[in-house]
Formats: sequence, structure tokens, C-alpha cells
Amino acid sequence: MKTNENPYIPYNATVEDTWFETGGERAIKTFKVVFDDEEVRKNWSHRPGQCAMIGVLGIGESMISISCSPTEGDFLRFSVMRMGKVTQALHQLETGDKMTVRGPYGNSFPLEEWEGKQILTIGGGIGQAPMRPIVEYVKANYDNYAGLTMIYGARTSGDLCFKNEFEDMAKDKELSCHLTIDIEEEQWDHNVGFVPQVLLDLNPSPENTIAITCGPPIMIRFVLENLKKLGFEDDQIYTTLENRMKCGIGKCGRCNAGGMYVCKDGPVFDYATLKAIPEAFA
Amino acid sequence: MDLEKLRETAAEVAAREDVKYLIGWKKGTYGYRVAPGFIEDADGAAELIFSPLCTANLATYLTLVEKLPLPRGEEPDDRKTALMVKGCDSRAVAQLLVEKGIDRENVVVIGCPCPGMVDPELLAEKYPETEEPAEVKWTDDGFIVIRDGEETSVSRDELLAEKCRLCRYPNPVISDIMLGEPVETWEPAEDEGVNEVENKDVDEREAYWEEQFSNCVRCYSCRNVCPLCYCQDCILDRLNPTWVNRSVNFSENTAFNIARAFHLAGRCIECGECERVCPANIPLGKLNRKLAREVRDKYGFEPGLDPEAEPFQASYKPDDPEDFIL
Amino acid sequence: MSAMLLNKEKWPDFVGRLTGKKLWAPQAGGDGMRFAPVAEGEVPALDYGNTRVPPKQAVFPQTETLFRFQVDGEKVEEPKLEEEAVLLGVRPCDARAMVIVDKLFSWDEDDPYYLKRRELVTLVGLACTEPGLNCFCTSVGGGPASTEGLDLVMIDLGENYLLEAITEKGQALLAETEDLLEEAKDDVAEQKEKIINESEQKIKRSVNTEDIPGGLPGLWEDPLWQRVSASCLGCGTCTFLCPTCHCFDIQDETEGFDSRRCRSWDSCMFAEYTLHTSGHNPRPSRRERTRNRINHKYNYYVDKFDVIACVGCGRCINLCPVNIDIVDILKQVEEAL
Repeated sequence: MKTNENPYIPYNATVEDTWFETGGERAIKTFKVVFDDEEVRKNWSHRPGQCAMIGVLGIGESMISISCSPTEGDFLRFSVMRMGKVTQALHQLETGDKMTVRGPYGNSFPLEEWEGKQILTIGGGIGQAPMRPIVEYVKANYDNYAGLTMIYGARTSGDLCFKNEFEDMAKDKELSCHLTIDIEEEQWDHNVGFVPQVLLDLNPSPENTIAITCGPPIMIRFVLENLKKLGFEDDQIYTTLENRMKCGIGKCGRCNAGGMYVCKDGPVFDYATLKAIPEAFA
Repeated sequence: MDLEKLRETAAEVAAREDVKYLIGWKKGTYGYRVAPGFIEDADGAAELIFSPLCTANLATYLTLVEKLPLPRGEEPDDRKTALMVKGCDSRAVAQLLVEKGIDRENVVVIGCPCPGMVDPELLAEKYPETEEPAEVKWTDDGFIVIRDGEETSVSRDELLAEKCRLCRYPNPVISDIMLGEPVETWEPAEDEGVNEVENKDVDEREAYWEEQFSNCVRCYSCRNVCPLCYCQDCILDRLNPTWVNRSVNFSENTAFNIARAFHLAGRCIECGECERVCPANIPLGKLNRKLAREVRDKYGFEPGLDPEAEPFQASYKPDDPEDFIL
Repeated sequence: MSAMLLNKEKWPDFVGRLTGKKLWAPQAGGDGMRFAPVAEGEVPALDYGNTRVPPKQAVFPQTETLFRFQVDGEKVEEPKLEEEAVLLGVRPCDARAMVIVDKLFSWDEDDPYYLKRRELVTLVGLACTEPGLNCFCTSVGGGPASTEGLDLVMIDLGENYLLEAITEKGQALLAETEDLLEEAKDDVAEQKEKIINESEQKIKRSVNTEDIPGGLPGLWEDPLWQRVSASCLGCGTCTFLCPTCHCFDIQDETEGFDSRRCRSWDSCMFAEYTLHTSGHNPRPSRRERTRNRINHKYNYYVDKFDVIACVGCGRCINLCPVNIDIVDILKQVEEAL
């Protein structure tokens, strides 16, 4: 892939479409982005699980998970929660506005390695962002996998991301989709309860299955616990880490968890590796 | 001061059920160094010392320790902190009480009347530091430097720290337990350092501070060591909005140093810690003492003397001078 | 022509010859604050212990512009790094530190700024004949006359400096100043060895670091971390003044019409360093931060780059406001093993 010679110089990109996934103070907004330079667009390639540094010149950059699969087309998607300085500035962007992108960074989910297996994604809140490219990738390659199960939950139905895709998912015979919210709501005809409990109730067989989870730290902790209860081995479980990052290329030192640089050695880790990193669950 | 008495008292305090730990001074790892000691039980008190090398103002730990989030699974220990203080240090405690930065019932103040500290840099310059532990003791009219098994008597003037020359309150202004008898106060020296800066014209003064602030590496040791710089959310750390850029240059460094000095006006108790810890040797004492002088001369106010006092920046008198308002 | 003598009287001429390149030398006056550019006609004195700020600032400035830009992204301008520089009087520990940090800035992906500056710099070293009180370079693979990373090393023989070229850059410097130098005589090797031996003897502090990298992982929850960090103020002195510390922050800054993205030294001892916007902090207290500092230098870096990221310069010990002493910490680690 062609890269800028200087890894700190970002590419210019334009927001082709943008919409809010959730509302409130910590709203989540999705951006569909295309590179301005055709050469860059052609040469860019990323894999599910990777991240990119996106930003606004004059404000700064944030490391954000790429929430689309390369199988979807020549564009990138980012779902961004409004939190700090940079994400607030990103939320100001509308269709046609510019942002900067550099990357892709980090390792990825070993989807080729997983061919022939059952794929089980378990997401919570904004943690569905790195799960979505797995789901999309497997959907585009159903023949190569033994099956796809998706568990996704949030506090309320309003807090769920990618709602506009649920209807199509329901029609997809090959996808076993389990949505859940924490508290009962009117006109909600899916599960009610915490994600780890939904997982336990679903009782998926660990045989020939890979489970991937991402969400709030507390959710991850109980999902891991329940996956173990269900008989999953450490090397069948994957998750992603997030730490503060500045450079994305293993220099600035911000993101280390133990001896690992999350931006290089992560963000994807299997549970066996993760358990050996003392700071990973801090 | 009687070291036995100090350790005995400290042991009693450290052993108290309602005391979390006692913070005092202990011998450092080499040479003249003295380190803060966190004494959790009676046995630990045997490490404590009080000597002309105990420059550090330990009052900073009253708020610094509280900033620490607890490791997962640990219950907060709400017991009292016992603290050894010199005169200047006790003023920091009093000022913290004025500002309600700490609760009186959460501290046990052990007062150490202070005959004056040596200037650690001056000391090392005249009597180079050794790897082996060295000591300095008070005599009736000065100090004895003990190093390499050799004792050297030194006059008080030769080694006394600047902050101690200027000191008006060598005896703790508040305490629960006082160790020993109060020392006789001395006539504070004229603050030549501040005079010198005041006597410069505007250009000279700018050039002077430009040279000083350009050396600042923004390690924030001055802020962190300062017992009265204890904002939970310091404007220097703020990014959203960014008040002071992360860039290290004269302009940003000045913004930082001036902001800190102004936030300390009427609060700084002149313990001199900022200047002592600065790795760039910036004469921060002059900056803070200049503001303290203004507050004293214009408003007749001195911070950290009376825990019941109104905070200077939050009080108003109809006859307050306002000639500085442009 | 690899070992030459420079009579000290000719030192000003030697310095004068190095024109056309930016010259850096330790600021005058005892242990000066930092290396500073030498003004034209100025002759730097070499009678110093070491600078407080390490010379890493010449290749990794405390604040560095990555690029300037207009906010529409149309005009992104990278700084041009092309000025050659010579650093005079670099201590062996600080030169070794650069070799160690090179590994970080060139692994996986190159850091163009750092590596370009490294390429443009010539390091003229000065072997230590009077090591400082807290020097412990010999415990971490260095020595008072180590030449690792240096292009040219100078050894004080009293009347003369012995100049030895280590690299081609060093050779070139000797060639440029050939007429000021004399060929060293045979007995100089002996004289040199004696001086180095004496200097090594003067190093007082030491710690056996052999088992530390392998042992640190097992001490993760050891009470020693609480003990050694209890008095830590959480300031950046130890990291900012460390020749191997290399962490940085990146921020966009605008002054008037000048918009730039720059990086500045950052410190893992600051609470804010790892603080997530959500308020979660994976290293919530000074205990974890101190543990990370030691592990980074003596464990993680060894794992990744096969070298301890500490050169034993003693700066963090000299300048810690509360006597947190890395040699003492390492000894406690050793004891806990």
C-alpha cells in the first residue's frame, strides 16, 4: 500500500454521509468517509479490527476503530462518541466537510484463520463498532464460515448503534441476531437483560467456535467469565483493548499495556495473551 | 531537639488506632539526602530524624495523597494523617484549613520548632556530597557538618537557607503536639532577592524572567511539591479548552509560571519548596515572595497564620487599596 | 589516523574549525542546565560533570513542529531538517542513550524527524574522568569511556586531549583538523587505560542488574512499589531529564495564523498521561506509574529491544525532589527476587 513517506502526515478525506446513531450528551455519530486523493483511495486497505487516527486540523486526532469491513466498498466508516476535545470537533462535521485520516493501525481479527468456524460476536454499546466489520466480513463470505451469531446490547434501545441495519439483519437467515437492552421498554420485542446473561441463556456451544467481545470493561469482565462457564478455551476468545494513543506507530509510548504497544501489538488480543499482560484489565 | 523524644512521641502517634500513618523526615539513600518517611507503626518511628537538612515541606502530602484513586478492591482508609511540621510547614497546614482544603480532625500536627535549615545546594558546593550518609546538626550558633567521619563547624550565616534568613515564623503556628521548646525568633533579613528584581526597569526585568522561564522544562515539580497547589483539576492539565499549550517555549512557560504565581498570591506561605525542587534553578521564590510582599504591604495580610481567618482573595474591606486596577 | 593528540591550547582553534555546522556544547557554569548552541567565536569549556537536561534535546527537541498547516488541509508544510550539527562534549552515557532510543524510533516504522536529526548530528564525546556521585553506568552496560554511539571520543590526558575517531564522521572531523593534531605516541594507550581504570574505580554506586529484567514480571504486586512511590510527587523531573525517556504528546496549536501540529515530551509519571476521557485511568496512582517507569526501562524495553533503557547517568537520582533513587529501587527489586 502506498503510504505517506512521513507517517505523521494524515490524508485528507471528505465526509460523504453522516448520521447520529444515538443521542444525548455522549451521542454517537457515524461518518462515512472517502479519501480525497484517488491514489490513496485505491491503495488503502484495512482489515476488520484495525483503527485509524482521524481528526480535524487545528484540533487534533483520536484513534478510532474502523467500523466497516473492506468488503463493503471504497470508503471508511467511523462511529464516534462525543467525549473530549477531538470527538466534539468531529461531531461538528457534516456531509461534505473535511477530516484527516491516517492509518490503518494495529493488528486485526485473524478472519482467514477462523474460516470453517462458528463466529460469535458479543458487543455492548459503542463496543459494537469493532464487531460490525467482523459481522459484515463474514456476511460477505458466508460460504467460508460455519455460522454467525451476533449478540448486541445497550442500556436502552436508544443507545444501540447501527439500528438502521437491524431490519435487514432480521431477514438474514444465516445470521443469528440477538439484541438486548438492560431495562424493559414498550414496543421492544427482543431480549431484556445484560449482555453476559443473554450470552449464558443463549448457551452457544464452544465447539469449533470463536467468540469476540468488546464493550464497557465491566461487561467484558462478565462476558469472559460466562464464556469460561460455557467451556470456551482462552484461545477461542478475542477482545480489543483501548488506551490513549498519540502516534499510532509505536513511538509515543502512550498506549503501552505492560510490554505491549496497543497500537502495534493490539488492539486485538486473544484471551490467553491478554491474561499475560498485567495491565490489560486495569 | 531531642531525637529520642521525637521518636518516642512519633511512635506513640503512629501506633494510635485513629492514625493512618505519620509523615516525617528520615535519612535518604546517600549523602545529605533526607527523604519523606511514611511511618505506619511504632517501630517505623526509629527511622525519623529532625535536622537542618529537613527542608522538605511535608504538608503537600495532605492533599497529594488524597488525589490518589484507590487500587481496585481497597477500601478508603479514612483515618487521620499525622504530620511533622516546621514553622513554615505549619503555615501551609493553617492555610489549607482556611481554604477548607483539609479537615482539622483529619490531621495530627506535630510541631517542630525550627532553628533554620541549611541551603542544600550551598552545602554541597562547600562540602561536596559523599556516597556515604552525611549529617548536619545544629549548634548554639551554627551548624556542624559531619561527613567522612569528619566534623566541621560552620557558622549559621555561611549555610542558612535563604527562606530561613527571611523567616518570621520559625515556630509552628498550629500544632497538636509540640516537640521541645519554641526557638527564639530572629530578625528576618531584608529580602534582597525581591529588591533586586524590583529595582530592575521593565526591560531588564523582562530580560531577566525571559532567561529564567526559557529554562523551564515544565516538569511541574514546583506545582506538585507546593502544599497550596492542590486543585483537583489544574488548568495546566486542561485540554478542553487548552489554557496553556503543551509547547515548551518562553511564551507558554511564562503563562504557566505567572498563572501559578497569581493563584498563590495571598496564599503562598514562603516555604521555598518550589525553588528548591526546580531542576532548572528558576528563582521561583522571588516571584512568589514579590506577590506576598505586595499583599503584606498593601493589605496588611499574611496567609497561613490563623486557621480561622478569611481567605485573602475571597475577602474584601471597603478601604482595600485599588490603585493597581488600571 | 585514528588516535591523535590535541594540545589543550589549540582547543579554541579546533572549535573554530567546526564552522558551517551548528555547534552545541554544555552551557557554562558548573553542571549547566543543558546543551546550547555555541555562539560564533565562543569557546565552550569542558570542565563540567554533566548537563541537567540530556543532549537528547538536540535530536528529540522538547517541542518539535511536525508540520504547519492551513485548517482546510490544502497546505501542509513539513519542516526542512537539513542543518548539520556537532555536539561537543557528550558524555558516554548520553551517547549510549541515543543508540538505545534509536531502536525505538526505527522499529517497525521509522520516525522521520528523529532519524533525520540523528543522521545530521555528529557526536564528539568526552570520556568521564570525574564521574558524578550518582553515576552507575557500569551497572547497566556502559562505562566512563564507552564509545558506543559516539563519532569521536576525547580523553583528557592532562596537557592534551586524546582524540579517537570511532566512525567515518569522526574520521572526517579529524581529517578537517589534521594540522592542529599530533600523532599519538605508543605510550598513550597505557596512559589512556590507566585513566579509564581510575575513572571506573571512582564510580561508587552500583547494582547487579542481571536478574532484574527476568525478575520484574514476578514482582508485579509486590509491596515494594507502594513503598518506593509513597513519597513521589508525580512530577516529570525524572522522565524529562532522562536521556532514554522518549514519550511524547501530540497537540495542535495555533498562534495567530500559525497553525501547527507539534509534539512535546510527555511523562508517564503524570496522572493525565494515561487518563481516558471517560475518567477511567488504567494507571490510577503513583504506585502504578512508578512501577511502569521501572518496568519500561528494565523489563519491557529489554524484551522488545534487548537492552536496558537506562544508562546510569544518575540524573533522576540527583534531581528527584524527594530522594526517590533508582539504584535503591533496583536494589529493593533484587532483594525481593
